[in-house]
Amino acid sequence: MTQLLQALVLGLLIGGVYALMASGLALIFGVMRIINIAQGALLILVAMFTWWMWRETGIDPILASVVTTPLMFGFGWILYRTVISRIRDQSASMSVLLTFGFALVVEGVLNVVAGNRFRSATPFYFAESFTVGPISLPKTQVYGFVAAVLVLAALYLVLTRTWTGRAIRATSQNPSGAALVGVGAAGTAALAFALGTATTGVGGSILSVLYPFFPASHYDWISRLLGIVVLGGMGSLPGAMVGALILGLAETLTATYGGLRWSTLVFYLVIMLVLLFRPQGLFGAKLREDAA
Amino acid sequence: MPSLKGLSLKGVVAGYGGGNVLQGVDLSCAEGTVTCIVGPNGAGKSTVLRVISGLLRSSAGEITLDGDRVDGLSPEDVLRLGITQVPQSHALFPAMTVQENVLMGGYLIRRDRTLLQERMAMVRSRIPIVADRSHDIAGNLSGGQRRMVEMARCLMLDPKLMLLDEPSLGLDPRSLAAVADLIDELNQSGTTVLLVEQNVRLGLGLATHGVVMEGGKVRLTGTAAEVKDNPEIAALYLGGSATPASAEGPPVSAASSAPSPSTGPVPGP
Repeated sequence: MTQLLQALVLGLLIGGVYALMASGLALIFGVMRIINIAQGALLILVAMFTWWMWRETGIDPILASVVTTPLMFGFGWILYRTVISRIRDQSASMSVLLTFGFALVVEGVLNVVAGNRFRSATPFYFAESFTVGPISLPKTQVYGFVAAVLVLAALYLVLTRTWTGRAIRATSQNPSGAALVGVGAAGTAALAFALGTATTGVGGSILSVLYPFFPASHYDWISRLLGIVVLGGMGSLPGAMVGALILGLAETLTATYGGLRWSTLVFYLVIMLVLLFRPQGLFGAKLREDAA
Repeated sequence: MPSLKGLSLKGVVAGYGGGNVLQGVDLSCAEGTVTCIVGPNGAGKSTVLRVISGLLRSSAGEITLDGDRVDGLSPEDVLRLGITQVPQSHALFPAMTVQENVLMGGYLIRRDRTLLQERMAMVRSRIPIVADRSHDIAGNLSGGQRRMVEMARCLMLDPKLMLLDEPSLGLDPRSLAAVADLIDELNQSGTTVLLVEQNVRLGLGLATHGVVMEGGKVRLTGTAAEVKDNPEIAALYLGGSATPASAEGPPVSAASSAPSPSTGPVPGP
């Protein structure tokens, strides 16, 4: 029973971090119909940068997200304006090709600059845990979860309480309808892409503590993130949240009862099953309009 | 010819890449009128509205509102001139509430909070569904309710000209009556309305003026009664039920490609 409880809590903690990482991918697809395969590579880029900052200055890796998040927002803005906007009117498959190419460039640069070996930031609390009754909660996972929830809450407030957020949501739900009320498509798309990329700032910093990584780890991460957004319904932020929690739990339970080597298989299995039986994901076609 | 207060299109050419849909459209709507464009499928009726609202760029010709050039402007700048559009379908943001949808209609005046609140109060009093269903998700509304919210959203900018694409599409008689009442009310308050309608009898019944389009060109203009009474229009679109003809316009020829001599500005009320 304790083992199950421990697995469930850890699953929720890691699900919260996955939710943050997947929210960027869902936001970018929702607004622009761009499948950003580079999202995983950007996570690894930030993880590498965070690890380097931690080693050089001793700055806490999770707190480093205060630096990496605005940096990645700016990076996302520039990336959209200079590269991604060129395929604005192309099909989603073109965005897969372009962003996959960009991911390979990031991987190549990291290989040259940092070398092809595993790294992990290990702050002083790395091996410490909180104990709540019979459950032991690693501090890294708790801090990572708290950071992820704070950023998700901020993202929620931006999207629901500001005009910028409303414009982003409007564009994601109905681009031509948004144009008819005066929302500029290009500016909104750049903002959404920048916000989506900014989530890799926090996500990558958290990743540097929670998981060992090396340049080619992005293949594993983009697979996980795609599994989450496919399960939730491509482009649906609430779907990404729910998908992340389900897969976080599924992964931890599989690791606990089936063995660690099977846990990553969960994501691939979910992508396959969802595409076979409910291609619109969990949050697809729930409105009267969609059903009509 | 003196320039009219209102909307004017002269020689407008536009298309979607596979040839020109509009092949030199000349059309005018005087201020305060309700003009209905009718015609067969593919005549270019909806394309006229898309060109005016800036969703589609024209390749030739001139569009003006009260003498100001409209063609070549972005949809945002067209809105700033006071032109709003309710498209044929799917205009709302389905996962947002009714209140949020209507609020988005005031996106361009978002920095003037007092004006925004005044407009919201005005819209809520004119269109009750905005107040009654304000927290409902727009995607769960019926077709008629959605159409009312779409029109409410347009009113947030207090438009000079409202473009309505097939306002009757998919509506039951009760919803249709509500939409018709609102169009009539808009007209009474001085808003110019240009609407496209497949339901010719209904469209011309709502309008003060009528325009018949065919093959990307305007074939006939006149008052709504004149267009309705034109024997060929009656035969083609009204099942030949109109009384024969007091129409000033010549018969409409489906085969002819020459512009009709009656094509020209619709007189004001």
